[in-house]
Amino acid sequence: MNKEAAAYRRKKFLKYLLIHAAIISFVVICVYPLLRILSVSIRPGDKLFSTDLALLPKGADFAAYVRLLKETLFLRWLWNSLLITVTTSFIGVSLASTAAYAFSRFKFGGKKGGLILLLSTQMIPAGMLILPLFLMIMKLGLMNTYLGIIIAYSVSSLPFSIWILKGYYDTIPRSLEEAALVDGTSQLGAFYRVILPLSTPALSIAFLFNFTTAWNEYLVARVVLFSSKQYTWTLGLFELQGQYITQWGMFAAGSMLVTIPVLAVFLYSSKWLISGLTLGSVKG
Amino acid sequence: MEILYSVYEVLWFVFIVIAGIALIEGYFYYHFQFYDRRWFFPAALLGFPLAGAAGCFAMGLVTEPVRIFLWLLGSEGLIAPFFRHIVKGRSKLAYLLLAPAFIGLALLLVYPFVFEVYLSFSDLKLTTIMQWKNTGYLPFVGLRQYIDVFTTSPLSEVTFWALLGRTLWWTFINVFFHVAGGFTLALLLNNHIRFKGFYRTLLVIPWAMPQVVAVLAMRGEFHAQYGFINIMLGKLAAAYPFLAGLGLGPVQWLSNYPLTTCTLINIWLGIPFMMVVILGGLQSISSSYYDAADIDGASYLQKLRFITIPLIRPVMMPAVTLGTVWTFNNINVIYLVTGQSGGTERADILVSALYKAAFTYNRYSYSAAFAIVIFAILFFVSVFYLKSFDAAKEER
Repeated sequence: MNKEAAAYRRKKFLKYLLIHAAIISFVVICVYPLLRILSVSIRPGDKLFSTDLALLPKGADFAAYVRLLKETLFLRWLWNSLLITVTTSFIGVSLASTAAYAFSRFKFGGKKGGLILLLSTQMIPAGMLILPLFLMIMKLGLMNTYLGIIIAYSVSSLPFSIWILKGYYDTIPRSLEEAALVDGTSQLGAFYRVILPLSTPALSIAFLFNFTTAWNEYLVARVVLFSSKQYTWTLGLFELQGQYITQWGMFAAGSMLVTIPVLAVFLYSSKWLISGLTLGSVKG
Repeated sequence: MEILYSVYEVLWFVFIVIAGIALIEGYFYYHFQFYDRRWFFPAALLGFPLAGAAGCFAMGLVTEPVRIFLWLLGSEGLIAPFFRHIVKGRSKLAYLLLAPAFIGLALLLVYPFVFEVYLSFSDLKLTTIMQWKNTGYLPFVGLRQYIDVFTTSPLSEVTFWALLGRTLWWTFINVFFHVAGGFTLALLLNNHIRFKGFYRTLLVIPWAMPQVVAVLAMRGEFHAQYGFINIMLGKLAAAYPFLAGLGLGPVQWLSNYPLTTCTLINIWLGIPFMMVVILGGLQSISSSYYDAADIDGASYLQKLRFITIPLIRPVMMPAVTLGTVWTFNNINVIYLVTGQSGGTERADILVSALYKAAFTYNRYSYSAAFAIVIFAILFFVSVFYLKSFDAAKEER
């Protein structure tokens, strides 16, 4: 009996050892490139090109970060990205919050059609709309401006935001609004005073989704912005990486500076983002 | 100072957007106030445009802004019956709430789409674009652009059919490995093990990183001399000569195997999403099924085949659909890897070729037609797919 138990325990131990080993090897594959960027970014200038695989280079310093901030427009790029992203997210969420409320609480002609229209806009490949948007922006004379890029971004995540918010509003009991109505506020007042404060979690997720989409966008920015003062950080990093031989350290430093906050926000919000992603598709 | 100016510029824009929305809402409000009056319908249909036109002609203003104004008044004739017949007074609030979002979608999603269809029947390229910008003149060429899509190369050599084949292959390989990798990882993580949350956090890093950073960094790591992949291959070959004998060693990834490089990078990027979705599905399966199977003496593979896979299918199908569409439309990875000057076109799929045809080769109308063709392919595939999905649902 004792022998059997020991054998069983050994087998179990072996099984868990194997599982851990397998997972750890996958973890290494996932994390190693990120660590490698970190390691390149703190390499001293004369060792930038080595075939050394050590993650902590000898004589590590932060010279690349200093150079990045001093010699390039990196801070300016970050600022441009921030301005563009916050504005588009603000516009996107405010448009979505009211539209989602209409879809969630009212019965009206064309409701189903509107929802289907929203879903079907998701079928248009994003790459397809870049060309007409580019031509429209050019025709309006908004090339190389913040406004051009904000216009191009502003509705791209709207259908998704509406879906998320509608799903969340649906979970708020109607009796809350009815109570507010009895207390003498209008329907809009009930929306503003009761529903909006209650749905801060969903609003912030929609905001985050809008934010990350615009923050990480590259392809539209590439064709609309062309002077390096107006670049967003994605364009700036691409440029640094393009001059591969000379700027690798600065590219790595910039990547780290951008990645860390994004990673933090993503890991913090991933739970909700994922449930939101599957929400729309399951209900559709 | 410049920063202040940029803030000012953007605030000004936000102000214009809000003012525009307020104007439009006011316009609708006015409609809701009057649409059921007896005089409103004929007045809106005939009176307003005529009055507007008459006023403009009287003042001798037939320049561009006035034409837009007339156009707006004319569309009034369409909007009025819409309100009269579709909008009932009770749901006016709903329409007021919906209006901003749908106006935005109409202007920035539907209109560009329609404009692209129009563009595909005309001839806009680098030589005619200034003329179009100044005068708005677009020569009509019928179906020529569509014929060109199938007969000439979107880029410099590769043909449409080669691109189509490559796209299907790219989509299949990527989605296959995303699902296989994600499924394996999710099964591994779904055991009762220590550090589960910690592992999960680390494993989603490729997905959580900004894609531009991830792809550019990986592109650097595929560099023939300094990328870690070749360094490792070189060390392996040096340490184990028999592997070198089998042909293992540093590879010119970017110049000789661009498509393989892109595929490897994209697989690396895409596995975490599938893992997270499948893990969610696995955790929602009640353990009583497995207990029952244990009593029946089922093996691990049998449990996998008859319990796990059927039960996570409802979670998987939307994720796989989404993943397929994302992979099919993935310009980012391929463009960031091969898009620099002197980049290759041997890795291009349909959408990245579309982007390059439009913005590297500046063939606007051609790429509009190309885009419509791609859209048609995607549309028919998804309709077919949804039909089969519904049929499968009814069978159950």
